[in-house]
Amino acid sequence: MAARVSLQNVRKVFDDGSGASLVAIDGVSLEATRGEFLAIVGPSGCGKSTLLKIIAGLIEPTAGLVEEDGRRVAGPPARFVYLFQQYSRSLFAWRTVLANVMFPLEQTAGSRADIKETCRRFIAQVGLAGFEDRYPWQLSGGMQQRVAIARALAANPDVLLLDEPFSAVDALTRMELQTLVLELCQRNGFTAILVTHDVEEAVFMADRVAVLTQRPTRVAEIVPIGLPRPRNQLTTREDPRFLELRHHLMTALLGDAVDAGR
Amino acid sequence: MKDRHLAILIGVISLAMVTGLWEFVSDHRIVSPALLPPPSSVARALVTLIADGDIWQQLLHTAALFAGSYAIACVVGIAVGIWMGCSEFVDGLLQPIVELLRPIPKSALVPALFLFLGIGPLTMVTVVVVAAVFPVLINVYQGVRGLDPVLSETARTFGCSRWRTIRSVVLPATLPAIFTGMKVALSLGIVLAVLAEMLAGQSGLGFIILDTQRAFQTDQMYAWVVVLAAFGAACSLLFDRIERFAIPWHGR
Repeated sequence: MAARVSLQNVRKVFDDGSGASLVAIDGVSLEATRGEFLAIVGPSGCGKSTLLKIIAGLIEPTAGLVEEDGRRVAGPPARFVYLFQQYSRSLFAWRTVLANVMFPLEQTAGSRADIKETCRRFIAQVGLAGFEDRYPWQLSGGMQQRVAIARALAANPDVLLLDEPFSAVDALTRMELQTLVLELCQRNGFTAILVTHDVEEAVFMADRVAVLTQRPTRVAEIVPIGLPRPRNQLTTREDPRFLELRHHLMTALLGDAVDAGR
Repeated sequence: MKDRHLAILIGVISLAMVTGLWEFVSDHRIVSPALLPPPSSVARALVTLIADGDIWQQLLHTAALFAGSYAIACVVGIAVGIWMGCSEFVDGLLQPIVELLRPIPKSALVPALFLFLGIGPLTMVTVVVVAAVFPVLINVYQGVRGLDPVLSETARTFGCSRWRTIRSVVLPATLPAIFTGMKVALSLGIVLAVLAEMLAGQSGLGFIILDTQRAFQTDQMYAWVVVLAAFGAACSLLFDRIERFAIPWHGR
């Protein structure tokens, strides 16, 4: 199958200001096929977010290539949406929930009434019906991230770029949001790339998990998950294969630090 | 609730004591009533001004001068501030000029402006605009510079054009900073409007305060000062109302 998104030998070198250069990403090649859910895990500070921003066209790679359906990406592609870890800062505080969700559609043709109707449907899909006229600061963290998801849906994406989008909410809300995103991906056939430091989250959501090394970052290995879909927060997490994968990935990431109190 | 009532009561008592003291020193000629007429005669002069309708011409002159100049200063300050904040080139171009002009007390420019613009309305408007534009400009500029990068990245991921990003993201996100600058400009603008009327006006509160002082009508002079204070307070109150309405999300 053809890759929807692919990275070839992507390198990113930062100038640290004193003339010395810092190699953040050193030749990463990855691909996500159409409809695939790819998770990227790695130790903190390994440049996961930088990598995702390069895929999103927000940061230029120093060398290498990002391709969308075999075409080189220059600038943010129209059908990619990005869900930020800092959802509360990504939402527009001066707009209501409905107006936030309408933002991507305001430049398109079509009557305002139709756009409103469409956006109400997206808001209902993320479970926020009845909250259309609230402002973001009147909502809980989990609800704010749902607004961000509804706004992403309004942009008519087919690729979701998820930058640790559930790391700032409590454990139960995180599970609800994971399930919501998986449902949306399934229903709409989205391709998704998730960056996370949470190994269980990666295994639970993804078809394949790419493990990154410490800086300078490379791909250490790519682990196929192969757990049946739809995933279930209880049964999937109790599946022996889930525990096996979790064990394997944890070992890869933690190395010698697995045992405590030696 | 009770604390608030108590605070108001203490405030009223404090005001009554100051007014009482003022009345006392004036009535007993501790300070000459020619220089400081008692509050009762200032109040009488004020009532006469209002009853005769004299108040309106002067008040309207100051209000019009201030409002017109303030509006120009706000529009220019917001536009240039955002432009400098969004463009490295414009920033590099204008920053040295802004830094050069900003520290000058704008009243010091009045004599020079007389030379170029004459003693009249053009000078008065210019003085107020020049004084009020800098706080707006600086606050807007710093507001744009301090914007959360997540916001502009969000706009970019939705494929917003530069113009749409400025209009739909930068401008509303900078509103709190715009209001902060406009608040500083408000009081500065009133000060400079009154000063301009004193130096170059044919009417207005600044002109009439100086005029009544020269005619030794001190009770009237103080009555006009009271009118000016009320005007300033009204502007400030109105401003706070508009601010609360315009940026309800701020401070949450």
